[in-house]
Amino acid sequence: MIVDIESLRGLSMDTLYDSPEGRLIQSCIQCGTCAGTCPHGEYMAYPPRRIIKMMQHGLIDKVYASDSMLKCVNCYACMSKCPREIHLTEVLLQLVKEQTIIRLPSVPPELQKALENSYRYGNPMGESGRKRINWMKDLDFPIRILSQNPDPVDVLWFVESYPSYHPRGQDTARAIAKIMHRLEIDFAILGNEERSAGECGLLAWESGLAESLVDYNMAILTKYKFNRVMTSDPHALDAFNYRYKMYGFNLNATHNIPFIYEYFDKIKKMFTRSLHYSVTYHDSCCLGRHNGYYDQPRQILKAIPGIKLIEMVHNRENALCCGGGGGGMWLDTYYKSQNMERLSDIRVKEAIETGADILAVACPYEIPRFEDALKLAGYDKKMMVKDISELIVDSMGG
Amino acid sequence: MYKEKTEKGHQIKIVAFFCNWCTYTAADLAGVSRIKHAPNFRVIRVMCSGRVDPQFILDAFSKGADGVLIGGCHPGDCHYIEGNYKCLRRFQLFKKVVADLGIEADRLRLEWISASEGDKVRLVINDMVSKIQKLGPLDLPAKYKSWDSEMELLEKCVREQSNEIIKEEMEVISHG
Amino acid sequence: MEKTNGQIRIGFYICHCGTNIASSVDVQKVTDFAATLPNVVVAKHYKYMCSDPGQDMIINDIKEQNLNRVVVAACSPFLHERTFRNATFQGGLNQFYFQMVNTREQNAWVHLDPLASTDKAIDLVRAAVQRVASHKPLEQKKVPIHPDVLVIGGGIAGIHAALTLGNAGKKVYLVEKEPTIGGHMAMFDKTFPTLDCAACILTPKMSAVKNHPNIKLCTYSEVEKIDGYVGNFKVTIKHKPRFIIDDLCVGCMDCVEACVYKEARFPDEFNQGLSRRKPVYMPFPQATPQLVLIDPETCIWFKSGKCKKTCVDACERKAVDLEQQARVEEVEVGSIVVATGFQPFDSKKISYYGYGNYPNVYTSLEVERLINASGPTQGVVVLRDGSHPKTIGIVHCVGSRDKNTNSWCSRVCCLYSVKLAHLLKEHTGAEIYNFYIDMRTPGKSMEEFYNRIAEEGMKFIRGRVADIYPDMSDPDHKKLIMKAEDTLIQEIIKVPVDMVVLSVGLEPRHDAQQVRRMLNISCSTEGFYIERHPKLAPVSTFTDGIFLAGCCQGPKDIPDTVAQAGAAAAEVLALIDRGFIELEPNTAFITEEECSGCKSCIHLCPYTAISFLEEKKKAFINEALCKGCGTCVAACPSGSIKQNLFDDEEIYSEIDGILNFDHISRELSYV
Repeated sequence: MIVDIESLRGLSMDTLYDSPEGRLIQSCIQCGTCAGTCPHGEYMAYPPRRIIKMMQHGLIDKVYASDSMLKCVNCYACMSKCPREIHLTEVLLQLVKEQTIIRLPSVPPELQKALENSYRYGNPMGESGRKRINWMKDLDFPIRILSQNPDPVDVLWFVESYPSYHPRGQDTARAIAKIMHRLEIDFAILGNEERSAGECGLLAWESGLAESLVDYNMAILTKYKFNRVMTSDPHALDAFNYRYKMYGFNLNATHNIPFIYEYFDKIKKMFTRSLHYSVTYHDSCCLGRHNGYYDQPRQILKAIPGIKLIEMVHNRENALCCGGGGGGMWLDTYYKSQNMERLSDIRVKEAIETGADILAVACPYEIPRFEDALKLAGYDKKMMVKDISELIVDSMGG
Repeated sequence: MYKEKTEKGHQIKIVAFFCNWCTYTAADLAGVSRIKHAPNFRVIRVMCSGRVDPQFILDAFSKGADGVLIGGCHPGDCHYIEGNYKCLRRFQLFKKVVADLGIEADRLRLEWISASEGDKVRLVINDMVSKIQKLGPLDLPAKYKSWDSEMELLEKCVREQSNEIIKEEMEVISHG
Repeated sequence: MEKTNGQIRIGFYICHCGTNIASSVDVQKVTDFAATLPNVVVAKHYKYMCSDPGQDMIINDIKEQNLNRVVVAACSPFLHERTFRNATFQGGLNQFYFQMVNTREQNAWVHLDPLASTDKAIDLVRAAVQRVASHKPLEQKKVPIHPDVLVIGGGIAGIHAALTLGNAGKKVYLVEKEPTIGGHMAMFDKTFPTLDCAACILTPKMSAVKNHPNIKLCTYSEVEKIDGYVGNFKVTIKHKPRFIIDDLCVGCMDCVEACVYKEARFPDEFNQGLSRRKPVYMPFPQATPQLVLIDPETCIWFKSGKCKKTCVDACERKAVDLEQQARVEEVEVGSIVVATGFQPFDSKKISYYGYGNYPNVYTSLEVERLINASGPTQGVVVLRDGSHPKTIGIVHCVGSRDKNTNSWCSRVCCLYSVKLAHLLKEHTGAEIYNFYIDMRTPGKSMEEFYNRIAEEGMKFIRGRVADIYPDMSDPDHKKLIMKAEDTLIQEIIKVPVDMVVLSVGLEPRHDAQQVRRMLNISCSTEGFYIERHPKLAPVSTFTDGIFLAGCCQGPKDIPDTVAQAGAAAAEVLALIDRGFIELEPNTAFITEEECSGCKSCIHLCPYTAISFLEEKKKAFINEALCKGCGTCVAACPSGSIKQNLFDDEEIYSEIDGILNFDHISRELSYV
């Protein structure tokens, strides 16, 4: 399902048909699975199927002129079900999205701001780079920062912006730090030197911004020696594994959940507290559909004493997106103006339906999105949103 | 692929021994499926990969082949029960001989390609051609020529040396 | 030969194959080149060498130009080697004075650059011309054909093939692994496009098989091993124990009645698990043969060794034998028809259709049983919760046309979906939605059938179902939402239904590879058995004497299956009635004077064709046993083993030709 990265280099809408990807696109049978499975399909004038047909008929300009691709949240649903295995999310939709954004008379202000902030401050919230390590303050053990101690390290932890700045994301970051500490892993972070990996810039296709972030981070990364890269944001995972490689990054990055899963036997023994929760797990699109990590988070959850795992109606490869990807994080206002139902609202309804106490997640975007949606549903007193890492720490007794 | 000749303008040529039942059929299937691949190979059909005598391989190299490919049925699938195993055993030994002769490992290849694997024919051939193109021509016959002239030189030296010796001895005799 | 005074005179011909070859290979250039080669007397190109005028050209040239060798550059030898050998023979030469150059499949069709294709053709023509000079006249060995036939698989294909052969007076062994013949067809309710009931057409044929004097029916049996070759196969058949003595059982079912399990509680395979059976049971009322069997997996006696064995006592004829063992039988046949069929796609592999998760999602085969009057519900379509569906959605292409599962079109699903739509409407009066990608209704009367059913007021939605999930607004969450894009109105639609039918595709059986190995035949990329040629030899395989019928070769409907079974039977009859087959003379032999008696060849032969003559201290090859692989030839250190058709000399001259190696100058032409 994953595209050959080499074949993407230098690909544009003009050269697409000459590439193997383009030939794959030509094999489309117009079945409409992509549109049918797209969480925003009913709001798009041009879902992927129609984009392909318009392209074949030389009418692609009409697609660029519509806002359809602004509604793509990069959830990989169309791509994972496409019977022709066309790399929709990875290739075609990004290229069309780029052209759409270029032609937009005005970028929706919320997104505009996030992109600007990312450019100026290295994070979409517009926070100061110096505050990037503030989340560490309450920890009772130190974390090595490479700029202060550039000695080689086993694991480089790329924390990313949401776990660094967002209050709930910081909870996750601290939980991950505690787990790493308990597992006695030799790890370090980039600290204030780190900037957003730029995945959402890439996928909301602001390639200029994305490239500046990639260049910046690559320059920082090449300064240090490390064996492994772990990130606490599935979007950054995708950025490293599918984008940075085009710029010479040659390690396979991993996410904290599959990383922790490597120490499954060891960590199981650390689960001392029983939690007595029923838990439903929301698959992150990048972690699940794009990287196939369906079992690892579930195995970890099931291993925590007292946790009962209940599945939502849509799960694993058929999970519904939270709506935060592909720039969606900063398009809620825009979507509302288009009378679109928020995907996080739809998703929490499914979660509520399970009757679970906890909605477990593994992506830092999801906590604020789902907490907000639960509030809106008036259910926030009955269900908590927690990162798996937080649950692990709870069971380890803090 | 075809136009990417090596620097000398030499056209890479691979002699391929394909077994009748699996790999030759697969190459036919590639044709029926119009699976395009590099034209640098020439197939000799044998009934079984077990028929491929190491001497065929040496002969092909010595007559100017840049590579030799043997294609047989997958292990367990041989039409003749186990001819492919015989071929494999021979191949393992013979690889060492070929290496000793200074022929690069990429020039000799054994592949299991079943009758249904038309696309594998393409993959294997394209891969082999591109690897050999990087190595350049083997051109053993030209090497023979230089080896021949080396030999001639050597013989000449030996001849001259022995003439010297004879001369010296003659002198010794005459002085004696 | 006399006329030529021992001179080699070669005729060379290259075929345009219309434009198939000529558009990629410069046939004029190749012809001109061939004319310059030593010994080539005639060099010609022609539009279609395989046609009558093309063959006549060869025949006439042999006679008029005193040719004694022929080389044809055309398609693959698998296609027309026999044709041109025959022309060579018609010209008055031994047919093995011929060599073919594969210029189409392995050249014109696979390369993009005409210059490269022409170069390649030239090299291979040079090789063939050099090779053919050393060809020797050979005689083909005639092998008698044993007149008995083995048919593997007792579905409609195997049944029809067996009946055709039996009716022609041939003895047939029909081997079926299930306890009854009938295959998938026996499970169907009605068949498209005529809507005649499957049982009405099939059961008379099943009993005809049972009662046919020439057919030996082996049900609940498997072919374990096949040795030998065309004309003389030795087949090992394993008869699995039914724990019922066949000859004594009359199918009265008293034992079933008497079983200690008063209630039937095990999933009934024939009804797709929609009903229950006892450990002792008959697969279905019309099962052929009418024999019960005991399933040791569920029988309490076999599981615990403790049971009152009421079944044994109940049988007046003493037919129940709990000690019965598997029995192995060896038979000899001359030819084999493979009719092993297909398996339906496992819907669980597409998780988002919810099969196995939501009880109201059914497979098409389950629905066939639900509709059937002798099915689990006597033909009343009721859901697993006992309710009657008011709206039904049918999903086409489940596990077909999808690279994530099976990439091929299963050919029958559109039509059987239309049929099920009609039958379901007839049985339930429900609103029916057909979700399709493309409606494919090829074949006689099929489009008319589709038309007729459409007029009944079915809803057709052009779009592949993308998601199926419970309707949360439904109080019991029983209704399912089918979500798809109706691509014709360009809208995303969500249809709430009571029942979903998954029209599953056809795929190769899980044991197809195992059977293929046993038979020494080949599978296509998809895993279906490959025919020798899709158009010229559609029921033959690359292994002589083995023929294909039905869905084991690829998805097809019942009419095509029966037609193919008839064709396979006809091929078998042609073989038997000719009485013999001529084998390729590619056997190996030993030149005694060169054999050093080292014995290194002896253990190499998998057919034990090589023995050692102690008195002479020489190896000896039994030609009748030799299959002609040539492994011993390659291994002989003294070069005393020769192989007809693939002699060292012939292969070396091919290598020389390909590499354009000149022995005199020891140089290559390009250097």
